[in-house]
Amino acid sequence: MSETALINHSEKKAFLVKSSSLKDVRIFCREVFEKLKIEQNLKDELVLAIAEAAQNIVKHAYKDEPDTKDIMVVEISCKNNKLEIAFYDMGTPVNPEKVKHRELDNVKPGGLGTFFIQEIMDVVEFQDKKKKPWINHLVLTKQL
Amino acid sequence: MTFKVEDINNTKIVHLEGEIDMDVTDKARQTILPLIEAGNEVHVNLSKVSYMDSSGISVLIESKKLSEEKKTKFELKEVSKPVEKVLAMARKFL
Repeated sequence: MSETALINHSEKKAFLVKSSSLKDVRIFCREVFEKLKIEQNLKDELVLAIAEAAQNIVKHAYKDEPDTKDIMVVEISCKNNKLEIAFYDMGTPVNPEKVKHRELDNVKPGGLGTFFIQEIMDVVEFQDKKKKPWINHLVLTKQL
Repeated sequence: MTFKVEDINNTKIVHLEGEIDMDVTDKARQTILPLIEAGNEVHVNLSKVSYMDSSGISVLIESKKLSEEKKTKFELKEVSKPVEKVLAMARKFL
């Protein structure tokens, strides 16, 4: 919990859906969190959670389309010390029931990214109400 | 990400540097796994890795598993703070 109120701020950016965009996603997040004056430790965790969610879009929603020209949008909003990060993509519809990390006794690495997201954020949810033209709309929230 | 491989007393020391994400994990995998496959003891120096995500952790897990199959050693050396933090989080999962 922050001792002082953070500024209310919102910013979004579009990225090509490809693995080489992940670095740009991280740069964008770091710039926004710098403006919000989020402390380094938390900033690192949030950047990881966001990069993992973006990676899931590239890896899963566009699994069969490695050469897509589609974009994904990342929107970071901070209001009343509540951080909301929205992801929009036009890939294969995600079944939220299937988005979960592996069981703790399964040492295979797959699902680790989802585990990180869930560890770092307070709420992870796919929105049912679609905003055209987007297919998937994931929202991560955290009280700061 | 950049890397270099040193050979010290028959141990391969892989120095990774920069950010390790899904975009570069194939490069990391193709650097480390053949060394283990060939039966070498492999140490990975992570002191200059400024960022690592789950895909980087996956490469380390694959490497560890392969070293067990090949009955050789695979060790992490000089882990940077950002990587240590991600590894600590991953340990809860693994």
